[in-house]
Amino acid sequence: MTDNKLVSHSVRANLLVLGLLALVLGVVPGVLSFLGKSYYMQVANSALIYCVVAASMNLITGTAGLMCLGHAAFFGIGAYTAALLNTHFGLPFLLTLPLGGVAAGLAGVLVALPTMRLISIYFAVATLGVGEIVHVTLLNWVSLTRGPMGMQIYEPITIFGHQFTGLLSIYYVIAVLACVSIYLLWRMNHSYFGNALRSVREDDQCAEAMGISVVKLKIQAFAASTFFTGLAGAVLAHSAGYISPDSFQFSESILILTMVVVGGLGSLPGSILGALLLILLPEVARGLGDMRNVAVGVVMFLSILLLPKGIFGEVSAIEVARKLFNSAWDGRNAVGWK
Amino acid sequence: MKRLFTAFVVMAVLCVASTALAEKIVKLGYSLPLTGSHAQYGEVFRNSALMQLESFNKSGKLKGAKVEIDFQDSKSDPKEAINIARKFNDDDEVVGVLGDFTSTVSMAAGRVYAQAGMTQLSQTSSHPDFCKISNCQFRNITTQAFEGPFVVKWATGLGYKKFAIIAIQNDWGISAATNFANALKKDGGEVTSLEYFNPGNRDFRAILTKVMRDKPEALYLCMMYEGGALLLQQKHQLGIDVTSFGTSSLYSPKLIELAGPSADGLYLSTTFMPDSPEPHVVAFVKGYVKRYGSFPNMFAAQAYDAVGIMLAAIAKVGPDVTRKTLRDAVAATKDYPGVTGSTSFDPETREPVKGLARMQVSNGAFQLVN
Repeated sequence: MTDNKLVSHSVRANLLVLGLLALVLGVVPGVLSFLGKSYYMQVANSALIYCVVAASMNLITGTAGLMCLGHAAFFGIGAYTAALLNTHFGLPFLLTLPLGGVAAGLAGVLVALPTMRLISIYFAVATLGVGEIVHVTLLNWVSLTRGPMGMQIYEPITIFGHQFTGLLSIYYVIAVLACVSIYLLWRMNHSYFGNALRSVREDDQCAEAMGISVVKLKIQAFAASTFFTGLAGAVLAHSAGYISPDSFQFSESILILTMVVVGGLGSLPGSILGALLLILLPEVARGLGDMRNVAVGVVMFLSILLLPKGIFGEVSAIEVARKLFNSAWDGRNAVGWK
Repeated sequence: MKRLFTAFVVMAVLCVASTALAEKIVKLGYSLPLTGSHAQYGEVFRNSALMQLESFNKSGKLKGAKVEIDFQDSKSDPKEAINIARKFNDDDEVVGVLGDFTSTVSMAAGRVYAQAGMTQLSQTSSHPDFCKISNCQFRNITTQAFEGPFVVKWATGLGYKKFAIIAIQNDWGISAATNFANALKKDGGEVTSLEYFNPGNRDFRAILTKVMRDKPEALYLCMMYEGGALLLQQKHQLGIDVTSFGTSSLYSPKLIELAGPSADGLYLSTTFMPDSPEPHVVAFVKGYVKRYGSFPNMFAAQAYDAVGIMLAAIAKVGPDVTRKTLRDAVAATKDYPGVTGSTSFDPETREPVKGLARMQVSNGAFQLVN
């Protein structure tokens, strides 16, 4: 009987993954190109980029419980690194993309080293400061970043000589990157690493006593999270073709934080849903005219009030993870991973 | 039953009749900040645009068609402006677009408009590279490349040769400051210091004290009126008695309202004078005050004319206007009699050519000076 159950679970799990992949790589672009509206495609592209950003921020703010108020800074570092390397040194997309991520990751480690002893609101304010430093630097270092004039990237995304100029092909670049990044983040979230982060969040002294190196773990999480945010930034720079410091200021950090909280702190599917909600809703609500942002605010307010654990809470996310990773887990077998 | 049938017939007839009578709709897009930190400007643009549109549709200049404007809120966010641009490009009915407010946002969207050959006419984007994006970009504002040298000539004529420049740290402020500085050096003047401040800065005392150390004969202020009012007040409080010149962006009744007597003596150039005796300006100011209960500022006039230029171009082409024909008609604009002066577009650079007026604040009011 257990064997039967095992098979059906694993089939179901694989179906879920395949279904999601088909949705992102097949159904969505298919329907959007059938509709032939570049507007929908554009919105889909930015929604996917923000899915990666929210999912990566979830690792530190959700899973590790470190409230970060400066996440837009790493997004900006990734974007500006890619843009600068491309326009000044002519590096191709295949290099600027990982380098954007690495630059943001390094910046993340640099920030993490001195701030790891801080918790809760103190950590939040420290990262807020970092966010401001990066924004003001991007704004005022005119000779490097062109300051408020922003940077234009004239070269289209080019991979092995193939130019991705159409919106649909750009969508596929973003979609593949998003799928890979989110898969890696998902595995990190639901592994020994993720569980250790959760234990640090709940009680760091206890975790330390159990033999977890808290500081090392937090720095690793920070590096991973900022790396993926940097990747998203690099893709943003290449796909939009124009970036300016305005896109990486405090309000952007708050937007990303809101995505994670509304979606469900600590839940990766939740942060993706949160990102989709907060990018798509303002566009859907365009018909409301001046009341648009009020409507977005009301939805956010109600979702927090009625769903304080988020749209898709951490508990549900862990349940899904258990089903996906270990088909034997069905709640009746009392102990863990079989 | 019979009654129902009659009702249907009547309705069907009405429907047919109304479609036969319905005028063709020519649609324009307007991308502008209606919410967010620049909402006050977007509001003014919409006010002016609606006023201009209404009078155009009433005037019957475009026979057999009516013009509509689709206002879309960009929040002054490049990301949103790009979405809006895609939306307008997708809508085959939209033949031209107005906006956006800041150069950063306009330029981010400009690349998208260029792909679809969509005319983009901004009322305020003064970034030197804006018109260089493609041959679809136009603006109804003289750039700082035009205004800077104009003020330099005026100031040196009055005997001011040593300037300290205080400018807002954004694309517009940088271009205003450098254009003025270059023109001044060319004229044999001297820039004693050049200080930038970040947008949103409210305390100018440190900057003022610093620039006064180099003993300039006058200040040149490149900023919006909110910052300008604060700076003038703080300058007054510090007892700094030196003449100030300003960019046209300082021109707003709010400047005097906020700065009070501290604004007295400020020189500035502008394209729009609400107290001009010209009949079309009087009509605009009166109409605006009547409709919205406040005096139009320079931004209102700028948008009023931008919409006017677009509508005049549509009227020239006729109801069958397309994106292509509209672009050519806008490019051919010559001596459009607007409230911001008569406007033509340079055939090569598409930059607007306008006359500027000289003004000075005295006794709490803007006065024309020669």
